[in-house]
Amino acid sequence: MRRHRRRRVQGEVELNLAAMLDMAFQLLAFFILTFKPSPIEGQIMLRLPPPRPAVVVDSDKKAGENTSDTSPVIAMESLIISVFPGADGRVDTMLVGDVHVSGEAGLDARLKTILTDEGAPFEQVIVQVGSKLRYDELMKVVDVCTRQKLADGKKLSKLSFVELPDAPPDTN
Amino acid sequence: MSSISTDRAEPNLTPILDMVFQLITFFMLVINFKSASLDLSLKLPVLGSARPVDSGGEEDLLVLNIDSEGRLKVGGVAQEDIEGYIGQEAGVSRAYARIHGKKPVAEDEKELSTIVVVRADRATPFQLLNRVIATCQNNGFRRFSLKAMNRVEAH
Repeated sequence: MRRHRRRRVQGEVELNLAAMLDMAFQLLAFFILTFKPSPIEGQIMLRLPPPRPAVVVDSDKKAGENTSDTSPVIAMESLIISVFPGADGRVDTMLVGDVHVSGEAGLDARLKTILTDEGAPFEQVIVQVGSKLRYDELMKVVDVCTRQKLADGKKLSKLSFVELPDAPPDTN
Repeated sequence: MSSISTDRAEPNLTPILDMVFQLITFFMLVINFKSASLDLSLKLPVLGSARPVDSGGEEDLLVLNIDSEGRLKVGGVAQEDIEGYIGQEAGVSRAYARIHGKKPVAEDEKELSTIVVVRADRATPFQLLNRVIATCQNNGFRRFSLKAMNRVEAH
């Protein structure tokens, strides 16, 4: 038997691209209008535990209760940096312990001397800051601190902040 | 008389569609949803040694924007009750740590692994900043990321 094959119509199916293009332009317009490149920000990572008292006090015992205990009071090794602002909120006076330091370079040099001394391992570094000090000025101090290396080679990243009244102490 | 041809001349839209899709792909890839939590009106301090953020994508962050008046803004909304908000976030962080089986970061069990990202205006007085930091510390946050710009940007 002879088969008759139907001839298929070879017409092209054309997509209507105009509708798709409209939608694509809508999406493009949305992305262009909402595009706002955020500035590249840096950060300083810190561990900020609350400051602990410089002397460990056992609250259960009273002073002089045990006369046989002649051991000295256990003191926590704390390095204290004091920063006092001027009227404009910028750094006016800076002390490391009781020693005046001038500027970031002075602070850097003093901290290097103290922190790399193996005989003086500090358990905590407390930054005492005047209440009106601007944040950018504080960050300069923090930046100098976090650049320091401790005697064991680790970077200093553990600080505690304490708020101070603004009047600098008379160290003379 | 010559007959006018009625064939419509249709432009080939395929190349333009390709190009538009390429542009859409570009914008979709560079869109940054994280910036929605940042208050870009703040002028951050400028520090050359501030390092770019490298959290590895797995850190739990709490972003706090503090303006020069000490107002705490989160997602563009000013939070009046700072203590309440941070306490609430600490509760969320604890629940998150419990669900994901995360261990506390240090010796104290109450410490949270969440990093508090502090974005404060450069003119913010320490008194106002310290209020936020102390509240975070009281709620168990210990890890802080203080934000700064690497260089001065035009605002």
